[in-house]
Amino acid sequence: MSGTACVCQEIECREIEIDYNQLDKIIRDDYGGNKETMIMMMQAIQRVYRFLPEAALKYLSQVIDVPLTKIYEVATFYASFSLEPKGKHILTICTGTACHLRGSGGMVRHIAERMGIEPGKTTQDLKLTLETVNCVGACAVAPVAVMDEKYYPKATIATLNDFMDRLDAE
Amino acid sequence: MRVLNIILNGKAVTAREGQTILELAQENGVFIPTLCHSPALEPAAMCRLCTVQVIEGGRAKFVTACNFPLRRDAEIRTDSPEVRHGRKLIIELLMARCPSSPELQRLAVEYEADLTRFSSLNDDCVVCGLCTRACEAVTGKTLSLAGRGTAIHVSTAFAKISDFCIGCGACVQICPVQKISMEDVDGERHILLHGKIVSQVKLPRCKSCGKYFGPVIDLEKVMDRMGEHLIPPPNADTCPECSRHNLAVKLGKRYFEQYGVFREEGQADAG
Amino acid sequence: MIEATQTALTPSEVTKIMSTEALAEYRQKLQAQYDPNAPMIYVCCGTGCQAAGSVDVVEKFREILVGSAWDGKVVPMIKPTGCHGFCSRGPLVIIEPQDIFYQRVTVNDVQEIVEKTVLNNELIKRLQYKSAGAKESITKASEIPYYAKQTRLVLKNIGRVNPTEIGDSIIRNGYAALAKALTQMTPQQVIDEVSSSKLRGRGGAGFPTGLKWESCAKQEGLRYVICNADEGDPGAFMDRSLLEGDPHSVLEGMAICAYAVGSHRGYMYVRAEYPLAVKTLTTAIRQAEALGLLGKNIMGTGFDFEVTISTGAGAFICGESSALMASLEGKVGRPRPKYIRSVEKGFRDSPSNLNNVETYANIPSIIANGGNWYKSYGTERSSGTKVFALTGNVFNIGLVEVPMGISLMEIVFGIGGGVPNKRALKGVQTGGPSGGCIPIPHKIPDINVGYGKLAEVGSIMGSGGMIVMDEDTCMVEVARYFVNFLVEESCGQCTPCREGLTRMKEILDRITQGDGREGDIELLEEIGKFTNNFSLCGLGTSAANPVLSTIRYFREEYEAHIRDKKCPAGVCKKLFHYEIDPDICTGCGLCKSKCPVKAISGEKKKVHVIDQSLCMKCMECYKNCKFRSVKIM
Ligand SMILES: Cc1cc2nc3c(=O)[nH]c(=O)nc-3n(C[C@H](O)[C@H](O)[C@H](O)COP(=O)(O)O)c2cc1C
Ligand code: SF4
Ligand code: FES
Ligand code: FES
Repeated sequence: MSGTACVCQEIECREIEIDYNQLDKIIRDDYGGNKETMIMMMQAIQRVYRFLPEAALKYLSQVIDVPLTKIYEVATFYASFSLEPKGKHILTICTGTACHLRGSGGMVRHIAERMGIEPGKTTQDLKLTLETVNCVGACAVAPVAVMDEKYYPKATIATLNDFMDRLDAE
Repeated sequence: MRVLNIILNGKAVTAREGQTILELAQENGVFIPTLCHSPALEPAAMCRLCTVQVIEGGRAKFVTACNFPLRRDAEIRTDSPEVRHGRKLIIELLMARCPSSPELQRLAVEYEADLTRFSSLNDDCVVCGLCTRACEAVTGKTLSLAGRGTAIHVSTAFAKISDFCIGCGACVQICPVQKISMEDVDGERHILLHGKIVSQVKLPRCKSCGKYFGPVIDLEKVMDRMGEHLIPPPNADTCPECSRHNLAVKLGKRYFEQYGVFREEGQADAG
Repeated sequence: MIEATQTALTPSEVTKIMSTEALAEYRQKLQAQYDPNAPMIYVCCGTGCQAAGSVDVVEKFREILVGSAWDGKVVPMIKPTGCHGFCSRGPLVIIEPQDIFYQRVTVNDVQEIVEKTVLNNELIKRLQYKSAGAKESITKASEIPYYAKQTRLVLKNIGRVNPTEIGDSIIRNGYAALAKALTQMTPQQVIDEVSSSKLRGRGGAGFPTGLKWESCAKQEGLRYVICNADEGDPGAFMDRSLLEGDPHSVLEGMAICAYAVGSHRGYMYVRAEYPLAVKTLTTAIRQAEALGLLGKNIMGTGFDFEVTISTGAGAFICGESSALMASLEGKVGRPRPKYIRSVEKGFRDSPSNLNNVETYANIPSIIANGGNWYKSYGTERSSGTKVFALTGNVFNIGLVEVPMGISLMEIVFGIGGGVPNKRALKGVQTGGPSGGCIPIPHKIPDINVGYGKLAEVGSIMGSGGMIVMDEDTCMVEVARYFVNFLVEESCGQCTPCREGLTRMKEILDRITQGDGREGDIELLEEIGKFTNNFSLCGLGTSAANPVLSTIRYFREEYEAHIRDKKCPAGVCKKLFHYEIDPDICTGCGLCKSKCPVKAISGEKKKVHVIDQSLCMKCMECYKNCKFRSVKIM
């Protein structure tokens, strides 16, 4: 079973293939279809698509019998969920207290300006998503940047510029 | 049930254990302003307007009257300067969001709110959560409070026209600032949230009189949860007026068959 | 984290432990296999050290140790461990039995360490620790002031056990306290022991743990034991270190609690940002279940306790108890407005005992050694020790565990090594976004750290975040930072918190932008008192603390921003500029070379000047000038 869902963004139309067998595996096998684990199911779905496609949530709603509006409520409440497609690369800059005191705010502004996106948003070409996080627990080596799940301690604007240069070259 | 001795604004009164402060105040003719409260729904204590001071076991604290259950003898101050000052701030903050609400305007006068301190947000929703709770009580499938923090807002799933709304209109009736409206156009009921259509429901046509009428809802569930606070909705394929008429005729006929007298419609159930 | 190593301590081949005596036998067997004189290399793989490259260091050690010929000699063991706490010096390597401490070890040092130190007992000077200003470097970990001045009760295993090998924990008396509780004590005796220790909750509010257990035990029907591992304070990471470095102490503490309150189901709510903790915990639970130390019929005593891990999805508010339980049920994490405690009606509307990670981790030693032993540390009203996450402008950043009642100055200077870059100490922020700034040493000379004392000066213990701030910290900006954090993290359901905080942020934004107005300070105080009294949950009722405490102690700084349009600390960019003091400038040219926008001009040995139209106030010249000739004007 497989279908196509269209997630229309203002700019262009992005077609997302939803693999319902895979969804079934997550919802029924991994989490036993238990409503209480809905947040973790949604995280698993987001790991697959790098965001939460509407069609996948509709399916989730049917299988676990939770109204779609309640799923939407949860998806918009928790910061780690995204209803918009995320970029191929994800740059997360820690803005926890220790990192903030060591200038992580300036790094966020720098990348935001350079890439022309607000924190939390993705570039038009879906290459990069810029995110902020409140402490990743590595405060001793603040400021911390996390690029595609790898930690960069004592990050500087120069470290980040290196990434961006590499992305631009891709 | 245990009876509690309460001093309410300096006056000795008695309360039932478990009763809320709001209920006690109402019984004793003390007015406490509320915004997010409806006796038909679970209290959510979101607006905080009903905050009062309670002194229990020597400790004074601020609590919301709409959901604070009395469990011990206590002293309650519903109108102390601290309470009034906090309410004034709530009104000022909410007026900055929703200046057009008559209810807020009235409170603003009573609490001498200074409406110049906070710049206008013109959001027009006071986030009382009444509509979402009313929806929850009926079907729980249409409205919810999406987002968090300042971004919290009433929404349907994906902010799209809901596939699940049955058009009962509970949200329209309950909104204290009248920002949800409803119109029936060409056999379709539209519900508008801040002027934007969030629901389009085909209305059923009455098989007796041919008029469109309000939607069918799971009556039992609604009556169960909202009790006498909701006007009874109609059933399947007949509009409320015709159902009442038909019922009356039916009962009347039975009465006639039994007693040989046919009474007027309105008195049909008197027997 | 890192897979189990080749040691004999993996439980795979072991059958279930069916009695408490069998546990003791198993421990003896493991201890017999363990030669205290055999070389052991501990490599810290906590988040800080991992970020600095410690995983590669471990791999390199393994490669070299496997590849070498050891003719007759004992092959050294390599042990990846949880966070040692001294994160700013990572990656850390400790070599036993000599207790040799090496810091900032890279892959390139590994070969040399094996050849010189492990094989020939020879020290490598450049990797050794030296205190600031000291001539001699220090050889042993236990002699480094940072460690020597701590009292490690709850962190005792961290850095010594491989968290993915349950045998490591068992050797160090893991699950012995659970065995004792299950076979030698009644649930009431367990509660009494915890009560007598006077342990207070480490998650923030400091509620007496024994009292909480007592009221949970009184409830009827099914009940739950829940561990709050949401660690939301941005800048605190002790719970993370415990979960990743010594998961079995936390699990054992939960199991003891379950026995005391009569529960068989445990939940662990871990924040989404801690994937490593989830992985480590999953392994730990699996291993404990395989050995029969968790799950059904624990150690053959008939007592069942199962633990399930659940994760958050990025919401600070889910650390609040009722929001956490809603989130555990798969719902939105909005605090519930009920005036009812979760020990009566919590998760699934059943009685639920919620404690913090560190609270649970303290339990096994309290049961093993007795409440009186625990109480002998700390003070009358704040017993035991507390782990603090020491960060900010301080030399030694990391986790420190100290007895309650210790002087704050001792933490900052004695353990933390003081403030770097010759800057003066301005204050210490404790308690995170719900806490306050303590203006040591100028306005308050020093305080003894305890629940009561911190509250007296307008702060809180909180979960143990401790941020040292130097003279270059703008207190208005700090307040703005925390309020901004809370505006983003507020659930938004109640008016005071949602609207009040937004307005406080609006006011603080304009003050730091130079648009502050007369009356703004008073308005902040007015809104702050209001949100503290009228909000629905603990987030709202403590949200104004960072603002109120900075106004209380640093009011003149607010006034300087508003009246003189000046930021005395040189942080708020619109409210200061840098000038080079011609009387001090030696014309060394360092600032000129550091300035990224070439705003500084001047010839060598001549006074330099800053072109104000180019300067972007990045602080580089200010930070780098050796003579402090760059002044904030
Ligand atoms: C907004 C808010 C956030 C909280 N975050 C945490 C947290 O991250 N970790 C924690 O253990 N307790 C947190 N708490 C405290 C918990 O509500 C609760 O008091 C605690 O987990 C109880 O455990 P204890 O008695 O062992 O401290 C928070 C409280 C509030 C109001
Ligand atoms: S105080 Fe803040 S976080 Fe707590 S319920 Fe109110 S809005 Fe939500
Ligand atoms: S504040 Fe950035 S890692 Fe903790
Ligand atoms: S009426 Fe009580 S909080 Fe709104």
